[in-house]
Amino acid sequence: MKNISQRDAFWDRIYELAKEDEDIVLVVADMGAPALDKFRIYLSAQYIDVGIAEQQAVSLAAGLALSGKKPFVYAIAPFVALRCYEHTRVNLASMNLPVTLVGVGAGVSYDDSGPTHHAVDDLSVLRIFPNLRIHNITDSVMARALADISCKLDFPNYVRLDRKILPTIYDENTDFSVGLTVLVPSLDICIVATGNMVHRALEVSESLKKEGISAGVIDIYTLPINEDIFVDKVKDVAHIVTLEEHTLPGGLGSAVCEVLSDHQLLKPVKRIGMDFKTGYCYKYGGRDNIQLLYNLDKESIVKTIMYN
Amino acid sequence: MFTRRRSIQELKKKASEIRKTVLDMCCEARTGHVTSAFSSVEILVALYHGGILRYDPANPTWEGRDRFIMSKGQASVLLYPVLVDVGYFPKEDINGFCKAEGKFGVHLQHSVPGAEITSGSLGMGFGIATGIAMAAKLNSELHMVYALLGDAECYEGSIWEAAMFASHNRLNNLVAIVDRNYLGVTNFTENMLEMEPVEEKWRSFGWNAASINGHSFKEILHVLEGVRSRKSSKPLVVIARTVKGKGVSFMCDKPLWHGIPPTQEKDVHSAKEEVKYLWDQSLY
Repeated sequence: MKNISQRDAFWDRIYELAKEDEDIVLVVADMGAPALDKFRIYLSAQYIDVGIAEQQAVSLAAGLALSGKKPFVYAIAPFVALRCYEHTRVNLASMNLPVTLVGVGAGVSYDDSGPTHHAVDDLSVLRIFPNLRIHNITDSVMARALADISCKLDFPNYVRLDRKILPTIYDENTDFSVGLTVLVPSLDICIVATGNMVHRALEVSESLKKEGISAGVIDIYTLPINEDIFVDKVKDVAHIVTLEEHTLPGGLGSAVCEVLSDHQLLKPVKRIGMDFKTGYCYKYGGRDNIQLLYNLDKESIVKTIMYN
Repeated sequence: MFTRRRSIQELKKKASEIRKTVLDMCCEARTGHVTSAFSSVEILVALYHGGILRYDPANPTWEGRDRFIMSKGQASVLLYPVLVDVGYFPKEDINGFCKAEGKFGVHLQHSVPGAEITSGSLGMGFGIATGIAMAAKLNSELHMVYALLGDAECYEGSIWEAAMFASHNRLNNLVAIVDRNYLGVTNFTENMLEMEPVEEKWRSFGWNAASINGHSFKEILHVLEGVRSRKSSKPLVVIARTVKGKGVSFMCDKPLWHGIPPTQEKDVHSAKEEVKYLWDQSLY
């Protein structure tokens, strides 16, 4: 399969499904994509543009869901996660309505746009809602699979897409209902990563291998964490490192620590993510440069793991 | 199911009964939005008892029902007794209002039969109403959607996002009723942040608009009758001019009489006396 963006993989599949199911409805806040163009032309009755109005998008979707529709709300990640935050809390989470929020631009993948467009705190705030499940997408195979999964869920769901084309690591037959995958097994060190940082974790694991250090990789793509499976996979691991292109308070690292703590699995954990102690990220020059500045490049992470 | 249309006299009697129940519920619980409820009593009674809404209490999820969306969720203490009165759930449940063993509290809860949504955070129910109206259009369903908004709720920007959406999408199956009682919590709207001209604002957003006396059954029924078969492709907003706390002289039209019932013994007594007087009057 040609490697395409997560966005195109997801919407192309939704388009195929929507052709067969007129209850699938897109609620779009003035967003473009080739698959969305097809919707506009061939499935115009299932394509609703609300303009740049994310609050209306979410509340409208709640009304559509109450009437039996399967709405997908699409906007840039920080806007679909944050601008309409309380609408999601009351109208989706508290009423437990099957609406899928789809945000594009995970982490700093809008690397030229500054902090307004960075989705670096959305996981922290959305994972606290009861009923809502987060799917942070790793590659385009997972994105496509999540289109199918999302149509069958009977609760709210946030699908978080990277804006960049990332390498494909998953096989098309993978069961993504588990919520996490052990990509590299190891009992010495386990790097627990999410989203684009899963690819970085795999690179780091390779580099550490050359240094004679065995570091495993687990991809957590679903929040809340599937606790039983996760605990089973890490209970005998000596050291855990968490890795995310996201702020540390409340992010993946916090979620991992909560699970370990609740299960009395007390072991060393190093959280690696974006440090916003000096404020939001007003840095440019490409995603690689931003990662370098926040010590999320391969060399920095290898050093952090080796010397911390 | 089609509800029986009652005479104006019967509706007035029903309104007095409902006011009495609301006051009793709130005095008993020592909480609740009495004044917000009292400004909307005639509107709800007209909808549910005046033959406007189509509904079936025996089948609360009947697909053909008209949807009533209580966007001003603080007035749920008014909706619950109305729902009980038409048979959605037993009267005994009213006694549990805000109690440990109760099934609902101050703000609207979607789990209550007939409630449709959870609301209490303002500016959201109306967006949901546009979604239900849109789904009805997509599914070629003929039911109507009625949303009751507080006037001060219209300070929320999301109300106007929804208003713009509804007119653009020709949601003429949607009726917004704005309870124009001219009061927020602490102040009159025109002192807080000027709201007028309200009708013109809605018209400029592409809506048909009408202003009525929101305590006159004659005017409410007149503006809502035939709304199902009207020719306009625009959604309709009814600006219902009301008095917050209507029915109790010392509470009505007063800032800060919001979200609370009378608690001093003498206040409880005089409020109940006034509401009882209305009830006595309605019998003749």
